[in-house]
Amino acid sequence: MASKTIAKDIITLRGSAAIVSEFFGYAANSILYNRAVYPEESFAKVKKYGLPMLLTQDEGVKTFITNLTAQLSEWLEAGKLQRIVLVIMSKATSEVLERWNFNIETDKEVVEKGVSREKSDKEIMREIQAIMRQIASSITYLPCLDEPCVFDVLAYTDTDVAVPLAWIESDAKLIKNPQMVKLHSFDTKIHKVDTLVSYKNDDWDEEE
Amino acid sequence: MILRTPPPRKRRSVSSEQREESALDMPLVIYEDPVSEPSHEPSHEPSDQMMCTYQCRQMVKSEFLDALDTAEKQVAEYRINLEALNEQLRTSESGRKEFKDQLCVSQQELAAAKGREQALEEQLMKEVHDSQERYKTLLSRFSELEVKLSKETDARKHAETLVSSSEEKMALLEQQMRQLSESSERERKQLNRELSDLKSDSELSISRINVSLQQMECSANNAKKEAELLNKQREELAEQLKERSHQLAKMEQELLSLTAPSDDVAASETQILVKHLQEELRNYETEVREARKLKSYHMNNELLKEKLLEEKRRRERAEEELLKLEEVQMNAKKLEDELLSWKSLLKEIPEVACREDIPKMLGTLQKEVIDNLMKVGEVNAHLKELEVALESSNFTKQLLETENAIMKEKLDNLASEVKRLELMLSSVTEERDQLRKEAMASKIQKGGEVEKGTTNVDLVKMQELESSLAKKESIIRELDDNLREQREIVNSQQHEMQLLHEKLNMEARKMKSLEREGDRLRAEISLLESKLGHGDYSSANTKVLRMVNTFAVDSEAKHMIETLQNQLQKAQAKIRAIEDLKGQTDAGNSIDSHLSETNAQLKAQVATLEKREERYRAVFLDKIQVFRKACCSIFGYEIVMSEYQRSNGIPGTRFTLRSIFAQNDNERLEFDYDSGVTTILVNEYTSQPEISQQVDIFIHKMKSIPAFTANLIIEAFNRHTLC
Repeated sequence: MASKTIAKDIITLRGSAAIVSEFFGYAANSILYNRAVYPEESFAKVKKYGLPMLLTQDEGVKTFITNLTAQLSEWLEAGKLQRIVLVIMSKATSEVLERWNFNIETDKEVVEKGVSREKSDKEIMREIQAIMRQIASSITYLPCLDEPCVFDVLAYTDTDVAVPLAWIESDAKLIKNPQMVKLHSFDTKIHKVDTLVSYKNDDWDEEE
Repeated sequence: MILRTPPPRKRRSVSSEQREESALDMPLVIYEDPVSEPSHEPSHEPSDQMMCTYQCRQMVKSEFLDALDTAEKQVAEYRINLEALNEQLRTSESGRKEFKDQLCVSQQELAAAKGREQALEEQLMKEVHDSQERYKTLLSRFSELEVKLSKETDARKHAETLVSSSEEKMALLEQQMRQLSESSERERKQLNRELSDLKSDSELSISRINVSLQQMECSANNAKKEAELLNKQREELAEQLKERSHQLAKMEQELLSLTAPSDDVAASETQILVKHLQEELRNYETEVREARKLKSYHMNNELLKEKLLEEKRRRERAEEELLKLEEVQMNAKKLEDELLSWKSLLKEIPEVACREDIPKMLGTLQKEVIDNLMKVGEVNAHLKELEVALESSNFTKQLLETENAIMKEKLDNLASEVKRLELMLSSVTEERDQLRKEAMASKIQKGGEVEKGTTNVDLVKMQELESSLAKKESIIRELDDNLREQREIVNSQQHEMQLLHEKLNMEARKMKSLEREGDRLRAEISLLESKLGHGDYSSANTKVLRMVNTFAVDSEAKHMIETLQNQLQKAQAKIRAIEDLKGQTDAGNSIDSHLSETNAQLKAQVATLEKREERYRAVFLDKIQVFRKACCSIFGYEIVMSEYQRSNGIPGTRFTLRSIFAQNDNERLEFDYDSGVTTILVNEYTSQPEISQQVDIFIHKMKSIPAFTANLIIEAFNRHTLC
């Protein structure tokens, strides 16, 4: 029994990358659902991280997120990924309304030397659960998205990364004078993910 | 013998308690044989001095025995009382001990409090002294700084006044300079005019002189001619003279050859003639001489005339020169005056030796002013810092004062407690003394009335008690000594504590400064984090990639296709139905109307879709045109994007750049763009040696297309502007 628990607590680079990429998949789904980027009925409920999570059933979005997580996993294993940003934009004007930042700090020693770290899955899951709860509760303070929106995913990588076929170089799609809310973070001891949402400052409220 | 019946027992027994009580209050007297005692009045009550007034002991015996019994009883009672008192004494001793302990503790606390108070007072005094000294030093610094400030402000004002005066002087001098330059220009103009006048005069005079020279030449020629004529005349006259002399000689020879008388007459005549002729000759010679003299005079006269003219010219020139000299002297005087004023001004301005130093001086003064302003700013900052330090010291002083007040209150409390304890102690000692007195009294009573064997025990006990008391006192002294030692230790520890406290304060200050630094750094970090969180990144080590999001468009198109397919299927179904129901004319009309409705709907949809497409196209065209224009105006290149088929059949994108400074249409750059990689294509323009060299340097070696295009633009711009 003891050996089993010890074996469970050890985390490798590949495992960490898988956890982070999976987390991003679920987080993206949760954001798309909670921010009503896609209609409510296009999501199905599954249980993950001890929470009822919603996953899109739209084939296009599904394949997009699958391809995305696969690529992210590859970069995470190589330690080349610095940040992932899910950008929500206005469909009509392409104006950036929200930016969901997932800042990733990678333990370089693990990447270079291939060593493993020790952290229990339970603890990681608990941390991820906290983030998911915060994402779900973010609708309380984020401004309403009154217009049809689209999303985009940006990956901040090292400069020496070869650009894959399905990817192109882009600008950072920044928001001018954004409001920022820092969410919880989780750490696999190999990848530390800090979450932050920045959104367009609602001038209408201030004017009032 | 006087008999006296003993008082009734009952009464005695009744009064015994009273007597006991009174005996307690009355002084005890040793019983002696009352021989010398005078007769007493009979009384039922015992005497005041508790003495037996009866001589008969036998009579007294019973009473004595009773009294002994009672005394024994009393002794027993006293013993009990003594025991009780001993117990009380013990308890009081224990209480005393406790009180002593409490006293010790309170003394310790008092000493500690005193020590603390002293330490605090010392600390406070030190701090007060320090703060006062600091305050004084600050005040002195402040006053010094104020003095400095005032000096600097004075210096600044002085410098400003100097600057203003020098500027005024400069302005005045500039005005003078302008005036001088204007006057010099005027003088120059006047001199030029005069020079031109003089030139014209001299030309005139030269012409006059030439004319007079010509006249003189003419006159000289005339004189020469006259001289020649005169010479000719002289020569003629000389010839005539020669001829005459020859004639004379001939005449003389003839005369000689002729007769004597006639000779004499003739000779006299000839002699007269000769004489006349000689006289004439002489006259001629004198005339010739005079003519020569006249000629020379004439020549001299001409020379003198020329000389006179020259002298006249010289005089005129000299007069003009004199006039000029006077003006020049005036100017020189003016200039000397100006020079003197300048020199005086220079002397007035310190550290200025010559005129060239003035701008330098002005520069240095300006620098000084700036430096002074900087110093003033620094001094102000320092003052503010000092004020902050003063405030902090005041704050600490207030804190210490409050602490001191609290300590004083504590001290007062402790003193009151000590007083209370002392009071308690005094009451206890009083009680003890009283008890001791009582014990002594009982002892005396016993000694007087009972056998000494019985009291010896009490005495021994008392002695023991006293000895124990003495021991206790010695122990108390020892404890006092210990207490003193402990106090000293406590004092030393307090001193150490004080030192540690100072160190702690220092550390706390350091901590505060570090905390401030930490806060500042945290603020910086938060700012940087916010920037980072916002999404900023360094392009040196980060690349932003975007996944091509085609599914949104695809899904839209799919959705559209699906709807259209659905409509098509519906339409097909309807057509089939129409075909099926071709024969049925009843239903035909309704289907036709339905079809026409759907047709109209579809047409309307198509029209809206076409409109939307057109609108999108128009918007796209507008946007792209704006983008192109903006690119052209920002980067200086007109960019045209075109697509072409490569040799392998894959479509490629080509960008053609034409500079806004291009001199002909051939000046264009062509780039091939393929999945993020841009390569330059060789054409006529890029194959030129200059351009190909630049392509080699910038694109092939430096691997920077922007540098190449920017360089080309700069070169073209330079060419364009130079042209």
